Amino acid sequence: MRAPRSTPSTSDAGQPASGRRPTCHPKRHNEETILERSFHEEIRALRLGAGEVFHGEGILAVTKALLQSGVSYVGGYQGAPVSHLLDVMVQARDEMATLGVHVEACTNEASAAAMLGASIMYPVRGAVTWKSIVGTNVASDALSNLSSPGVIGGALIIVGEDYGEGASVIQERTHAFAMKSSLWLMDPRPNLPTIVHCVEQAFELSEASHTPVILELRIRACHVRGSFVAKDNRQPAIGTHQLMAEPAPFNYEQLSHPPVTFGHEKHKGAVRLPAARRFIVERGLNELFDGPRQGLGLIVQGGLYNTLIRALQQFGLADACGVSQVPMLVLNVVYPLVPGQVEDFCRDKQSVLVVEEGQPEFIEQEIATLLRRAGIQTPLHGKDHLPMAGEYTAEVVLAGLAQWFDAEQLADLTAPAHALLADVASHRALAAQLLGQALPARPPNFCIGCPERPVFSALKLVQREIGAMHISTDIGCHALATFAPFSFGNSILGYGMSLASGAGVRSFQQRRPVAIMGDGGFWHNGLLSGVSSTLLNQGDGVLVIMKNGYTSATGTQDLVSTPDGAVRRQAEAASATDSELTIERTLQGMGVKWLRTVHNYRVGNVRDVLREAFTTPERGLKVVIAEGECQLERQRRIRPLRAAALKAGRRVQRTRYGVDDETCTGDHSCVRLSGCPTLTVKPSRDPLKTDPVASVDNGCVGCGLCGEVAQAAALCPSFWRADVITHPSGWERWRDRLRRRVISWMQT
Amino acid sequence: MNSTSSAQPTALLIAALGGEGGGALAEWLVDAATRAGLPVQATSVPGVAQRTGATSYYIEWLAAPAPAGAQPVFALMPVPGRVDILLASELLEATRMVERGFVSPERTLLITARHRVLTTAEKMAMGDGRFDSERLLATVQGLAQHCLALDLQALTARHRTVISAVLFGALAGSGRLPWPRAVSEAVIRDSGLGVEASLAGFAAAFDAAAAALPHAALPAPSTAAPAALSDPGLPSVLALAEARLTDYQNAAYAARYRARIAALQATLPASADPEAEAALSEAARHLALWMSYEDVIRVADLKTRRERFERVRAEAQAGPDDIVQIREHLKPGLDEIAAIAPRRLGQWLMQRAQRRQAAAPGPRGNGITLHTSSIRGFLTLRLLAALRPLRPHSLRFAEEDAAIETWLAALAHGLPLHAGFARQLAQLPRLRKGYSDTFVRGKVAYERVFDTCVAPRLINGHRPDDDAARALAQAITAALADPEHQALNHAIGAPPAAPRSGGGSGGGSGGSQPLVFHPRVSHGAGGPGASR
Repeated sequence: MRAPRSTPSTSDAGQPASGRRPTCHPKRHNEETILERSFHEEIRALRLGAGEVFHGEGILAVTKALLQSGVSYVGGYQGAPVSHLLDVMVQARDEMATLGVHVEACTNEASAAAMLGASIMYPVRGAVTWKSIVGTNVASDALSNLSSPGVIGGALIIVGEDYGEGASVIQERTHAFAMKSSLWLMDPRPNLPTIVHCVEQAFELSEASHTPVILELRIRACHVRGSFVAKDNRQPAIGTHQLMAEPAPFNYEQLSHPPVTFGHEKHKGAVRLPAARRFIVERGLNELFDGPRQGLGLIVQGGLYNTLIRALQQFGLADACGVSQVPMLVLNVVYPLVPGQVEDFCRDKQSVLVVEEGQPEFIEQEIATLLRRAGIQTPLHGKDHLPMAGEYTAEVVLAGLAQWFDAEQLADLTAPAHALLADVASHRALAAQLLGQALPARPPNFCIGCPERPVFSALKLVQREIGAMHISTDIGCHALATFAPFSFGNSILGYGMSLASGAGVRSFQQRRPVAIMGDGGFWHNGLLSGVSSTLLNQGDGVLVIMKNGYTSATGTQDLVSTPDGAVRRQAEAASATDSELTIERTLQGMGVKWLRTVHNYRVGNVRDVLREAFTTPERGLKVVIAEGECQLERQRRIRPLRAAALKAGRRVQRTRYGVDDETCTGDHSCVRLSGCPTLTVKPSRDPLKTDPVASVDNGCVGCGLCGEVAQAAALCPSFWRADVITHPSGWERWRDRLRRRVISWMQT
Repeated sequence: MNSTSSAQPTALLIAALGGEGGGALAEWLVDAATRAGLPVQATSVPGVAQRTGATSYYIEWLAAPAPAGAQPVFALMPVPGRVDILLASELLEATRMVERGFVSPERTLLITARHRVLTTAEKMAMGDGRFDSERLLATVQGLAQHCLALDLQALTARHRTVISAVLFGALAGSGRLPWPRAVSEAVIRDSGLGVEASLAGFAAAFDAAAAALPHAALPAPSTAAPAALSDPGLPSVLALAEARLTDYQNAAYAARYRARIAALQATLPASADPEAEAALSEAARHLALWMSYEDVIRVADLKTRRERFERVRAEAQAGPDDIVQIREHLKPGLDEIAAIAPRRLGQWLMQRAQRRQAAAPGPRGNGITLHTSSIRGFLTLRLLAALRPLRPHSLRFAEEDAAIETWLAALAHGLPLHAGFARQLAQLPRLRKGYSDTFVRGKVAYERVFDTCVAPRLINGHRPDDDAARALAQAITAALADPEHQALNHAIGAPPAAPRSGGGSGGGSGGSQPLVFHPRVSHGAGGPGASR
C-alpha cells in the first residue's frame, strides 16, 4: 500500500471541471478521441509489469488479472457494475491484438456465454462478463450446454452481482445457476490482491476440473478502489497472433448432444467435482482464520468478509487488521463446498453461524446436509438469526451477530452492539420527529436534454385524448419513465421483452397496448422475441423504439445501428441518428407495413403519430421509431467543438430556454409533462404570488422540450427561447443594432 | 477494544447527486491519502443513480501509516452511527443520510451545501410542494456533532468550478484531513482539467469552513419550529396591489380594487380578530391577482418590456458582445382570442371553439414561435398589448368580474360569521391559475369547491362552523393534489355527469348559481369601463 504510485488515478479525475459528468458511463471503442471518453489511464494500468503497483477499481483489477492469466479471448455484454471491463478492453483493442487477445463486444449475454465454447475443444483461456442475475438468465441456455461437455481451456465468467443498494435488477442469486449447471462459483474477499489472486486461480481451477468457473463481484467490490502488486501480462500460446492451422478433430464426446450428455452428467459428479474440491484444498482457496473463542465459528461468503469484520469490531471481537477472536472459515469458493473442510471446522464447536446473503440459503442447507451425513451435532445457525432476503449491510450483520451471541448466552459480549443499535434507532426517531414527514425520494431521471423524455410527454398528451392504454415497459433509460412525473408502465419483463409481454394483454384490451423498447433492447432480444413473434401471429399493437443510437443506460456502447464516426463528426450539434436506417430497413425487410419515424423533440408530431398508431383501423404491428441521438453522446461531441470555436473566435450559437416568471401562474403543468432536471421552481419575485414559479436553471442544453410541450399541450406562453450568438457576423451585428435601436425607441 | 480503537479508520461518507462529480472527489481523496502514505479505500454505488438521482461514495483511511506487514481491513459500506465525516453536495441529501441514521451527535462532522436541488415530486406539485428547508437544516444541525452548512453553490458559481472542488476545500478547511493542504492542492493540480478554477473554489471553501467551524459546535434541535407564515400585512398588500392594477389597467381600476377591499373591511367585526384580519389580508392579495388575470394583452405587454429583455439576457448568461434573439412559444387558441374579443363576439367565438373541441378533442391552439427581438415580432406583441383600453369590454373580463363579485359577496357574508372559514374562502382563488386547458381545469375545480363547500354553508340561514372551514381547507388541498382531480373527487364527490360549462358563458357557477345570501353592492355591467 505504501509503494510508489505508478499510475495516477483513473478517468473520472480527468474531468473535474467539466460539470455534469456520467460517473460510471464509460465509452468504449476506437479511434475518435474527440468524440468519446478516453480510457487512456486505465489502458496504461493494464500495461503494468511485474513489481509495479496497480491503483484503481476492482473491476479494472480483474481486467488486469485476465491479462496476467494469459487469456486468448474476452467477451461480454455491458451492464453495471462490470461495463468497465469490456469498455476498457474494447478501447484497447489494438493493444490486445498485439498481445494476441481477441476482444468481442457481444450483442447479448447468450452470445457471450456461447463464446466460451472455444474452450471446450481448444486449450485456450477465455473470459466473459455480464451483469447478474439478468445476464445469467439470458446466458443460461449456452451455460448449460457449455458445462455439459466441460472445458479443456480455462473458462471464466465474471458477473457483477447487482444486489442491494444501487442495484437495478431483481435480487436473485447466481448461486442457483452454479448449482444446477455444475459450474464453480467464486466470491472473493473484496480487496484487490485477493480478487486478482482468485481470477488467476479460477483459470487453473477450471482447467484442473474441466469446468467453467463463475466469479461474482458485488457492486461495491467492482467499484472498490485499492491497489495490488502487478505481474507481467502473459501472451497466450494460441491467439490472434498465433493462428492454428487445423481445427480440432471431430469428437462426438465433446458435443452437448445425446447420448453423450448422459455420460457428461455422471462425469460432473464423479470426476469434475472431486477434482475441484482437491484443487480448492490444495491451493487454499478458502481461508481459515483461527481465533481464541474456540466454541464459536463463523462461515462467511468471501464477499461479505469485510462487512463481517466491521460488525465484529463493534463487539470488540476484531481489530483494524481483521484479526478475529471468533474462528472464521472464509469461502472464496462458495460452490462447491469441500465436505472435509466444513466438517473439520464445525466438528468441535458449540455453535456455528453461516453468514450468507440472499435467498434461499443454499450454503447453509448444504452445510446442514454435510454435518448430518457426518453425524456432527454442532448446532448450525444462519437465516434464523439473519434476515432471509435483502442486502447484508453492516447494521444487518451486526444485529444478526448480537442475536446469535444472545442466544448462545454471551450477553456480556453484546452490550456495546445493543447500545449502538439503540442509539441509531433513537437518532432516526429524532430525525423523523424533526422532519415531521418522510423525505422526498430522489430516483434517477432522464438526463438533461434526453431525447426520450419528449416521447413520454407526447404519450401523456395522447393519453389525455384517447385514454390510458396498457404500457409494456422495457429495460433501458426509458424505464426511468416509470418514475414521476410520468409514472408509466404496467409491466417490465426483461431486456427487449416489452413487445413480447404485450402479446397476451392485447387479446383482451379494447385500446391497443403499447410496448416501449430502446434500440439496445431491440438488438439484444426484442427483434426476435417481440417483432418476429408479433408478425408471425399478425398481432395488432404499437411498438415504440427509442432510436438514440447507443446502449445508453450501460454507458453508450455501440450497437449495430450506431451512426459511424464520420456521420457523427459531420452531424456536429445535430442528431446523428436520423440518417442511420438499419432498424427501419430491418423491420421493413421482416414485413412491417406500418412504420413511422419521428424526430423526438417535435412533441406535436410525436403526439400525432402516436395518436394515429393507436387509432388507425389498419391491423397489424405498428412501429413508431422515435429518433433522437443520446444527449450524453451529443454533448460529449459538441462541447469540445464549441470550446474550440469560441477560442478561435468563430461564430457560435447556443440555445437556452427560460420562463417569464411574471406570466407563470405557478401551476407547474410544465414540470408534470417534462421532469427535466433543469426545469425547476423558485420563489416568485412577486410578493403577491406565494406559490413558487417555474424556472430553467443554467444546466439547460437548449433541447427545446419545454417550449415544444408548452405549445403542443397548449400550456402557457411563459417559455422563451434565447439564441445567443457569440462572434456574430458583421451583417448579424448590423441587423441586431438596428433592431435594438428601433425596439428600444418603442419601449420608451 | 483498546487495540482496535487506537487504529480505527476514519469513515467518510459523501452524499451527492448523480453527475455532480462525487466520484472525482472520492478519487482526489484516495489520491491524496496515497500520496501521504496512508492506507485508504473508497467505493461507491453509482449504478443508475447517476442520472441525477441520489447516490453515495464511501471512503475509509487510517490516520497513520499501517505497521509493517499489517493489512487493514476496510469496510465497503458505512455503519450507522459510525460515520466520522459526512460531506453532502445538497441539503436534502445530507438530511437523507441523517434520516438513515449514519450521522451521530457524538461523532459526526457534517459539511453540507446549503442550497436545495428540488426533487421532481416537489417541483410537480400544483401549488407549493417544496420541503421546508428550515426543517432540513434543523435536522442536520440537531443530529450532527458539528454542522457546517455553507453556501457552497455560491462559491462554486463565483469561481466557475464544480461543487466537488468546493466540497474538497471545505473538508480540508475543517482541519480533519490527516495530510497538509498542499497535498490536496497538488492532487487537484495533477488532475488536469479546470485546475485554476478548482483551486480557487477549493481555497474559498477552505477559508469559509475554517471561519465557520468555531461556531459550528452547538447542535440546536430546539430551533426546529416550522417557518412562520409570511403574511406581508394588509397595508403592504394594498400598496403592491394598487401599483400592480394601475400597471395592469389604469388608476381607476386600482381605485375600484380599493373600494372592493374597503367594502370587505367594513364587514370585519368591531373587536380585533387576528384571524379575520388575516382573512382580509389574504383576500386582498388574491383579489389583486385575480383582477390582474393574465390574458393575451397582459402577456404581450409583459413580454415586450425593457426589463424583460434585460432579464432574458442575464439569465441566458450572454456576454456583452453577444447577440441574443428571443423567441416565444405561443399557441393562441380560438378560446383565447374569444377571451379578449368584445363580449358578444367572444361568446360566438367561444361556442365555435367548443364545438370544434367536441368534434376533435385534443389540445387547442396552433404553435407559433414569435421572434420578439425582431421588429416585426415586437410590433405584433405591442399591437396586442395596445388593446388594453378595450379589455373591460371583453368577454373574459365580464366573466371574471362576475365570478369575483360572487366570491366577494360570499366573503362579505362569511367574514362576520366565521373568520376561519373566511380565511379559507379567501384562498380559494388560488385554484384559478394557468392558461388554456390548465385554466379551464382550475376554474372547474374552483367552481366545484365553491358549489359544494362554500355556497351551501352560506345560504338558507346556515352559518359556517369549524367543520365547514376544515372541509373547505381540505377541498382546496385536494384540488391541488393532482391535475386529474382524483383527490378532489375523493374529497367532495365525483363531478355531476354533465360537464359544466368549460370556458363558456356567464363566469361559471359561482356566478350563475342562484344564491340566497345577499350579494353586496352589484356593479352594473360596464362599470369598470365607465370608471375610466
